[in-house]
Amino acid sequence: MADPAVSETVNRPLADPRKPHATFLLILPTLGILIAFLLFPYLNMIVMSFRTPSTSDVFAPGYTIGNYLEILFDEDFYYLEILLNTLLLGAMTTAICLLLGFPVAYHLARSRSRVTTLLYAFVLSPLLVGVVVRCYGWIIILANNEGLINATLRDLGLVETFLPLMYNMTGVTIGLVHIFLPFMILPLTGAIQSIDPALEEAARSLGASRLTSILRVVLPLSLPGIQAGTILVFVLTISSYVIPVLLGGFNVVIMPTLVVQQLLDAMLWPFGAALAFVLALAGTIVVWIYLLLTNRLMRGVAR
Amino acid sequence: MTRLAIEGLTKKFGDVVAVQTLDLAIDDHEFISLLGPSGCGKTTTLRCIAGFEQPSAGRITFDGTDIVDRLPEDRNIGMVFQNYALFPHMTVRENLGFGLEMRKTPAAERRSRIDRVLATVQLGGLGDRYPRQLSGGQQQRVALARAIVIEPAILLLDEPLANLDAKLREEMRFFIRTLQQEVGITTVYVTHDQGEAMVMSDRIVVMFDGAVHQIGAPTDIYDRPATRAVASFIGQSNFIAAEVRGRDGDGLYRLESGLGALTSRFSGSLEAGQKVELLLRPEAIELTGDGAGGNVNLVTAELRERYFLGNTLACRLKVADGSMLAAQAPPWLDLDVGQSIGCRFAPERTWLIPR
Amino acid sequence: MTGRSFDLGRGLFLALVTLVYAFLLTPLVIVVIASFNSGEYLTFPPEGFSLRWYEKFFNSQSFMNSLWFSLKLALICTVVSCLLGTMVALYTVRFATRWREQLRLFVLMPLLLPEILTAIALLFFYYNAEDVMAAVGFEGFRGLFRNSFIGLLIGHVLVTLPFVFLSISASLYNFDRSLEEAARSLGADRYTTFRRITLPIIKPGIISGALFCFIISFDLFNISLLLKGIGIATLPIQLFDYVRWDFDPTAAAVSTISIIVTVIALVVAQRLVGLRSLRF
Repeated sequence: MADPAVSETVNRPLADPRKPHATFLLILPTLGILIAFLLFPYLNMIVMSFRTPSTSDVFAPGYTIGNYLEILFDEDFYYLEILLNTLLLGAMTTAICLLLGFPVAYHLARSRSRVTTLLYAFVLSPLLVGVVVRCYGWIIILANNEGLINATLRDLGLVETFLPLMYNMTGVTIGLVHIFLPFMILPLTGAIQSIDPALEEAARSLGASRLTSILRVVLPLSLPGIQAGTILVFVLTISSYVIPVLLGGFNVVIMPTLVVQQLLDAMLWPFGAALAFVLALAGTIVVWIYLLLTNRLMRGVAR
Repeated sequence: MTRLAIEGLTKKFGDVVAVQTLDLAIDDHEFISLLGPSGCGKTTTLRCIAGFEQPSAGRITFDGTDIVDRLPEDRNIGMVFQNYALFPHMTVRENLGFGLEMRKTPAAERRSRIDRVLATVQLGGLGDRYPRQLSGGQQQRVALARAIVIEPAILLLDEPLANLDAKLREEMRFFIRTLQQEVGITTVYVTHDQGEAMVMSDRIVVMFDGAVHQIGAPTDIYDRPATRAVASFIGQSNFIAAEVRGRDGDGLYRLESGLGALTSRFSGSLEAGQKVELLLRPEAIELTGDGAGGNVNLVTAELRERYFLGNTLACRLKVADGSMLAAQAPPWLDLDVGQSIGCRFAPERTWLIPR
Repeated sequence: MTGRSFDLGRGLFLALVTLVYAFLLTPLVIVVIASFNSGEYLTFPPEGFSLRWYEKFFNSQSFMNSLWFSLKLALICTVVSCLLGTMVALYTVRFATRWREQLRLFVLMPLLLPEILTAIALLFFYYNAEDVMAAVGFEGFRGLFRNSFIGLLIGHVLVTLPFVFLSISASLYNFDRSLEEAARSLGADRYTTFRRITLPIIKPGIISGALFCFIISFDLFNISLLLKGIGIATLPIQLFDYVRWDFDPTAAAVSTISIIVTVIALVVAQRLVGLRSLRF
C-alpha cells in the first residue's frame, strides 16, 4: 500500500455513528435545562394551584381544592363569564384572521413576480417587531381623543366627540387580528403552495370559474393549513396579555389579564395558578373538539 | 496498482439481507461493473468497499490487507457519487484540492496535480467556478477529477451518469472508460444500465436480490447468460421451453419443443430428458421469405406486428404453439402483416438455460 | 367566461389583498412617522419634522439603561440558544433513533405552551426552588434565579431555543449526506468533515436561527414582565410601562429605535448569508 496515512491507522475500528455514548452529550445540557426549568416549573405550578391562599404571603401551608371551586361555583359566575368571553374573543379573532388571511396566503403562494420576497417581508414585518411597539402604533391611530382617526374626523367636522375605537373590544380585536394574522398567513401559504396549480387548471378546464375552482379545489385541499393556522391563532389569542391591557385598558377583562392581576397585584398565587389552569384546560378542550370536527372534513386530504 | 478481493461479503439491514455471501476478486487495472435492478445490493456492496456500511460478515482486502475495520478516510479510495456531492461552498479547484489537503500534499504539488487533472477532464478554464455555475456534464467531470486527483487505490463510481441526459450519457461512457485505461486504476462501477456496463467493463457482475447470478466479460453475459434473470435483464430475449433429447458433439444438443425439433449450442453438460429453456435473441432470428437455406432450426411463423425503428424492423411473430417471438429484420425487407414467414436461427447463436 | 367579469373579480381580489398588506404595515409606518413629528399628537397631515423625541429618549437614563440591558440580554441569549440548538439539532437529526420524535416535541414544547403560562410557572418555581434548596442547606442558592439576570436569561433561552432548533434542523434535514461521505472518501476524518463541510453548509440555518433568536429575545414581553428584577427592565417592559400612562411620542422614538435594531439584525444576516436563505 503506497499511502502512508493508511498503514498508520490500520485496524482502527470504524466508529459507529449511532453509538449513543459520545453523541448523547450533545443533548445533555438542553435536556437538563428543559427538565429543570420547564418540566419541574409546570409540575410545581400544578401543585401551586392547590395551595391554600394567604393574605400575608404568596401562599399558606396546606392544600385545598378551594381555588378551583371558587372559579367554577362563584355566585355570579364571574370567572366563568370571563372565561367564556375569552374563548369568544379567541374564536372571533381566529375567524377574522382566516377571512383576511386566506386571500393573502393564496396571493403569496401563487405569486411568481419579483416582489414576492417583498410581500413576504410585509407579512413577516409585524412578527419581527415587538408586540408593545405594534400596540403603540394602534394607540396612536385609535386613541379616543387625540388618536389619528378621531382627530382627523373631528377636524373634518364629521363627528362631535369621538368614535369609541379603543379601550373596548373593538380596539382589542383590531390589535389581536393585526398581531396574529401572520400566524394564519404563513401555514396557509405553505399549504396552498403544496397544491399543484394543475388541479385548479383542471377545474377551470372542466368549466369551473376562477372563484369556484378556488372554493371547490384549493380550499378543501388547504384544510390542513387552515387547521394549523386557526389553532395557532386561537391559542395565541386566548393567552395574550399585552394587547388587551394596552388596547382594552381596564374595560376589557379576559383571563390572561385577570391571571396576571391576581399574581402581580393581588399576590394571590394559588388562585392565579388555578385560573391559568382552568384557561389552559378550557382552551385544550375547545381545540380538541375543533380537531375532532375538522378531522372529519379532512378525510380526503390526509397525507 | 491494487487488487481488490471480496470474500463472503454479507450485509443485513435488520432482517433484510441486502447482500448475500458475495465473492469477487478484482485484478489490478480492471474495470468491473456491478449491474442489476435497483435494490439488488450493488450500491450496498460499493458502500461496503468504501467503508460507509459495515459488512455483517465477510472480508474485503486491498492487496491482501483486510480493510473492513478501517474508516472510510483511511481506505484511500476515490468515489464518484450519483449526485456528484460536490462541495457547494468550494470552487472547482478547492473541491479538487480538498483530498490533497487531507493528504498534506505540498501546495506547489497540489497546484500542478489539479492543473493536470483538470486538463485531463477538459475543464482547464473552469477552476475558479462554483459547482452551481457548471452544467450537469461539467459537474460530473469535476466529481470524477476530484476522485482521481488523489490517485486512490481504487476508484468507486455509484451510478455517476444517471443524472445526465441521454446524449451526454453516451459520450461520458467512452470518456470514463478511456480515462480509466489511461490512469490504469482499479475501478468498480455501479449501474443499472446494461449499455453502460457493456461498453465500459472488463467484467460485469450481475446481481439480483443480493445474490450474484453471473460474473463474466460482456460477451459472456450476453451470449452465455447463466440464468434466465440475467438473460432477460440484458438485451431482449425469447425463451422457448424445451427438453433435451441428446448430445450431438461439438457442444450441440438436440431438443424437443413446442416448435418441433431444435438444436442449440451449450457448453455445460445436460442429461437427456432434462428441461431447459432455449434463449433466442431477436437479432439471431433470420427471416426467410422463401424457406431456402437448410432446415436446421427452421420454423414457420405468422407476422403479427412490425415497427420501423430506422436501422431495423422490429417484428412480432406468432409461432406454431401459439406463443410470440420478437425478431429483428433488415429495414429494407418488404414484409406484410399477416404473411406467413420462415424463421431460422443458427444453433451457434442460441444458448440453453437449465430449468 | 367573459373577459370583463373575470377582470372585476380579480380586481376585487387584488384590492382586498392590498388592503390587508396595508393593514399589516400601517401601525409600523405610523409609529415611525409619529417619532419624527414635532407635535405631541400625530395629526393628518403631520405638523413638521423634529428630532426632539429622540433627544428626550437619549437623555432618559431609564430608557437608555433598558436599551443596553435588552441588547445585552438578547445577545447572550442568542449565543446560548444557538450553541444548545445546534447540538440538539445535530443529535435529533443525525443520531437519535428511538426517541427522535419525543425529543423534538420536548424541545419544541416551550413554543407550544403559551408563553405567559411558562412565565408564571418559572415565577413560582424560582420562588419555591430557592426555598426548598435553602431548607436543605443551600443558602447560596437564594437570589440566584429570582428577579435575577440568570433567571430572566433562562426564560429567554427556553422561549427562543425552539426557533433556533427548527431553523438548524431544517438545514440539517436538507443537508445531502453524500457530501460528508465524499469528504470522508477523500481522507477527511469526522471532525474535519464537520468543520470543513457540514458547518459551512448549515451556516445559513444557524445564522437565520440566531437572527430569529435575537429579535424574539429583544421583543419578548411576558417572560420579562413576570421575571424581571427590581430596577432591571427590558426595553419592551419600559415601553409598556410608559405607554400605559403616557402617549407622548418619546414612545414612538423608542419604538422606532427598536424597529431599527431589528432592521440592523436583518441587514447583518443578509450580509452574512443572503436574505433568500433565511428560513422563516
